[in-house]
Amino acid sequence: MIAVSLDDVPVGSTVRVRDVAGGDAVAIRLLEMGVTPGVEIRLVGKAPFGDPLELELRGYRLSIRRQEAARVAIGDR
Amino acid sequence: MTPGPLTVALLGNPNVGKSTLFTALAGIPTRVGNYPGVTVEEKIGRFTHRGQAVDLVDLPGTYSLAPQSPDERVAVDVLHGRMPGVARPDCILVVADATNLPRNMFLATQALEVGVPVVIALALADVADRKGIRIDVAELSRRLGCPVIRVAPPTGEGVATIRDRVVEATNGPAPRPLQLALPKAGTAVRPAAETEAIARYAAIERLLDGVVGGGGAAALVEDRIDALLTHRVWGTLIFVGVMLGMFSSIFWLAPPLMDLISAAMDHVSAFVASLLPEGAIRSLVVHGILAGVSGSVVFVPQIALLFLFVAILEGCGYLARAAYLMDRLLVGMGLSGKSFIPLLSSFACAIPGIMAARTIENRRDRLLTILVAPLMSCSARLPVYLLLCGAFVPDRAAGLPWLPLKAAVLAGLYALGVVVAAAVAWVLSRTAFHGPPQPFVMELPGWRWPRPAVVLERAREAAWSFLQNAGTLIVALSIVLWALMTYPRNEQTIDADVAALRTAVGERIAAADDDAPDRADLVAQLEALDTPEGLAAARQGAAQRHSFLGRAGQFIEPLVKPLGWDWRIGCAALASFPAREVVLGTLGVIYDLGDVDPGDAEGATALERRLKAARWDGTNRPVFTLPVALSIMVFFALCAQCASTLVVIGRETGSWVWPVVTFSYMTALAWLGAFAIYRIGLALGW
Repeated sequence: MIAVSLDDVPVGSTVRVRDVAGGDAVAIRLLEMGVTPGVEIRLVGKAPFGDPLELELRGYRLSIRRQEAARVAIGDR
Repeated sequence: MTPGPLTVALLGNPNVGKSTLFTALAGIPTRVGNYPGVTVEEKIGRFTHRGQAVDLVDLPGTYSLAPQSPDERVAVDVLHGRMPGVARPDCILVVADATNLPRNMFLATQALEVGVPVVIALALADVADRKGIRIDVAELSRRLGCPVIRVAPPTGEGVATIRDRVVEATNGPAPRPLQLALPKAGTAVRPAAETEAIARYAAIERLLDGVVGGGGAAALVEDRIDALLTHRVWGTLIFVGVMLGMFSSIFWLAPPLMDLISAAMDHVSAFVASLLPEGAIRSLVVHGILAGVSGSVVFVPQIALLFLFVAILEGCGYLARAAYLMDRLLVGMGLSGKSFIPLLSSFACAIPGIMAARTIENRRDRLLTILVAPLMSCSARLPVYLLLCGAFVPDRAAGLPWLPLKAAVLAGLYALGVVVAAAVAWVLSRTAFHGPPQPFVMELPGWRWPRPAVVLERAREAAWSFLQNAGTLIVALSIVLWALMTYPRNEQTIDADVAALRTAVGERIAAADDDAPDRADLVAQLEALDTPEGLAAARQGAAQRHSFLGRAGQFIEPLVKPLGWDWRIGCAALASFPAREVVLGTLGVIYDLGDVDPGDAEGATALERRLKAARWDGTNRPVFTLPVALSIMVFFALCAQCASTLVVIGRETGSWVWPVVTFSYMTALAWLGAFAIYRIGLALGW
């Protein structure tokens, strides 16, 4: 089973962003924070209740909720 | 040399050391307030360099100049000279985090396109060095076409150079900054802001290629700290420890300081009172003005302490982790992880809690947090709970042998506030505050040591802005309430009232059996009326009952009767509007005890006995029973009887609508809650 979006990859894995489902404020904010097609993201961990997620990209740490992560399509590595 | 002062806008991502640089350049701000019409803080400082005065305008921390949030809109408006009261900037000073250059260049390259000279300060340069991050500053400056200066304010590195470059940039020839030539139009599937963001990052990758390197090795230590502090078990335990530590220090450290302030203010009041002749002026100065001053200054220790802790947590990067850890829990209530610290600190006092909501960038979440924060049982409710629980909740176990009923009731009152707050937030977030999904995209900043200068400045700023903005209003309100409680004053009515009291107590003594439990109390009360102190206390009570506020209390009796209250309790509840804890003192005055201090054991006992002896007018039916005591406590758990909180809500939201909303919904809930518990209590025969 190949993960298709950022909310269902295992902790510790590194993936490459294929696309960010767009059209609203959430998508713009994700892109502005550097979650752009082609960028590599590592899923560092999850908060105690499984949400939100801690990501590492472009040399910094970012936290987003699963709901937002679900918009981030990832490509095969 | 330019005649007027230069205007320099300080722009940067949140958490990059912008305020550190502000303090290093301009010291204490000369102007702090809100931008007109929005609740975004305005901070302006001034410094003079080589004879040139420079106004430094601190913009809210933003990630982008595509205006989406109120913060970003303010930043964009200021940069383009569209903000009333702020001159169009002559120069933009961009603060970029040297440890996180790619993301920070997003905002920096946007600033270069504004068309105003730009100077870039590479903040946290010392931290970047320690992490082994190498930046070719000269090459970066050449590629960007603007000055780039490494700064590390604690060591003073770069601060003087920044001053030079800022003044030079505005004098020199027109700048020819980098133009990225990004697509300005959207596509069929993407709006323009999205295609631009994607293209900008691609351009930044090329721009920084060969300029930035290294940094891999030191990240390992940070990874370990992060892994521990966000660990499912350890991270949660550490979190609970940190929060308990923070909360209990506010709860335990602030009261001695507050007592000190109160004691000092009491001395001032006594001294002033001794200078003024007995009469209306003395009463106004002591009970109106000075009481108001004391009532606002007393909050300063809690505010300063909380902001000290928040600044330390923010400075080391833990504040964002705390929000990260708690987010899931609060999302269920319609709030966000960042609401946690404001709500937790509201258990000590809602005022610093509401002010701490400044750390929530999202406007909707911030407003919701502010609206429910006063439902947390603050330390001012505790004396009310303790006295009424002590006097009217029976001394027995609550089902379990080790659990006293008194403790269970007390815990229940605290739980009530939390449950009601969760319900209110949940309902509001699905109704009045319903809207498109709000992005929760939060940077988790790198771990670093907090900078003492910044921490102290945050605490000072919070305390000062409270005194300046809210303090003055609290004093004004205190004067109004003093007038309502003092006037009208008619000596004949007061004499008649005291005479009536004497007769009533006499009749009750005559009617009571010799061994009736309260007979001794009644005799004591009658005898006290013959002493000067007792008579003065009775006159004070009569005066208050006939004041505007006292009459209002009698007028609203039909409203409070369903709660099991007589009009005296209604009066006390009305009179406690300045602050909840006043209710006990007011009950003392209304029940003719004069100014008792419910805080000391003697005053509390006297008040307890007097409340137990209280009867409905013209009957022998006790006013205070267990259902009535519970009804009062539930009312005080949920009501918004705290003028200072409402003033702070008004100041923090920039609108007087929100204090009115808060007061109305809380009073309605308090009434319903008190009614319900009273009826249940009666039905179950408590």
